[in-house]
Amino acid sequence: MSFDAKLNMEDGNAVIRLTGELDSGSAGELNTVITEAAGHQPGRLVLLMKELTYMSSAGLRCLVFAQQKMPDEAEIVLVAPTPDVTKTITMTGFDSSVTMEHDTPAPS
Amino acid sequence: MTEGRLSFDCTPGAAQRVADLVSRIAERASLTSQQQYWLRLAADEITTNIASHGYQGSAGTVVVDSAIERDRVWIRIEDSAPAFDPCRYRMQAQSACEPLGTREGGFGLMLALHNLDDFIYEYECGRNRNTLVMRRPAAPDTEGTGYRDG
Repeated sequence: MSFDAKLNMEDGNAVIRLTGELDSGSAGELNTVITEAAGHQPGRLVLLMKELTYMSSAGLRCLVFAQQKMPDEAEIVLVAPTPDVTKTITMTGFDSSVTMEHDTPAPS
Repeated sequence: MTEGRLSFDCTPGAAQRVADLVSRIAERASLTSQQQYWLRLAADEITTNIASHGYQGSAGTVVVDSAIERDRVWIRIEDSAPAFDPCRYRMQAQSACEPLGTREGGFGLMLALHNLDDFIYEYECGRNRNTLVMRRPAAPDTEGTGYRDG
């Protein structure tokens, strides 16, 4: 499945919607978008991950890249990563350096 | 039942070939979607590590064998790069707690090895051989009462 990363600036925050699969072949594309986002000096970098179906360690290195590029005080927020992607982030300890927001199921 | 052999150069397109192989095997072996995900991730990370660190970006070939057995599936990834045992590599424990921007690498091997049911490394005749194993889900209850729980 192809990868796509779309950037929108919203109220001083950089919001990047990720779709598809993030691996060593597509990480460069995300880094390019992160660099563009950093140029806006955002207060937060928000990665919308609901439609990101796969992420290898290359994706983790994008998070490292993001923190290097963003202003020091900028917060990195990961929104609605899938369970498997969440596990990748937590088992490598990256959850200690980002904010993770999960969709909560609607009450039945 | 063997699933055949693939041989390809370690190029950026190799990861997709590995993913396609895992997808075929997972479907035939009735692996769960989670098992397929982690098997694919492990194969992806091992292959990427071979390309980046084994062959160090130079030309190199990877040979992949695979098989579906009664209770497990395995994927064996071979290369002719210098000997490297992934099991001996331990990402520094403190790295996971360091700020994002200061961390060293090694996450790929951690991800590769942590979610397999078994991993076997061998070095023979100048070739690294990495065997990734995932157990097949238990067969459904054939007594007519549906799947067993637990």
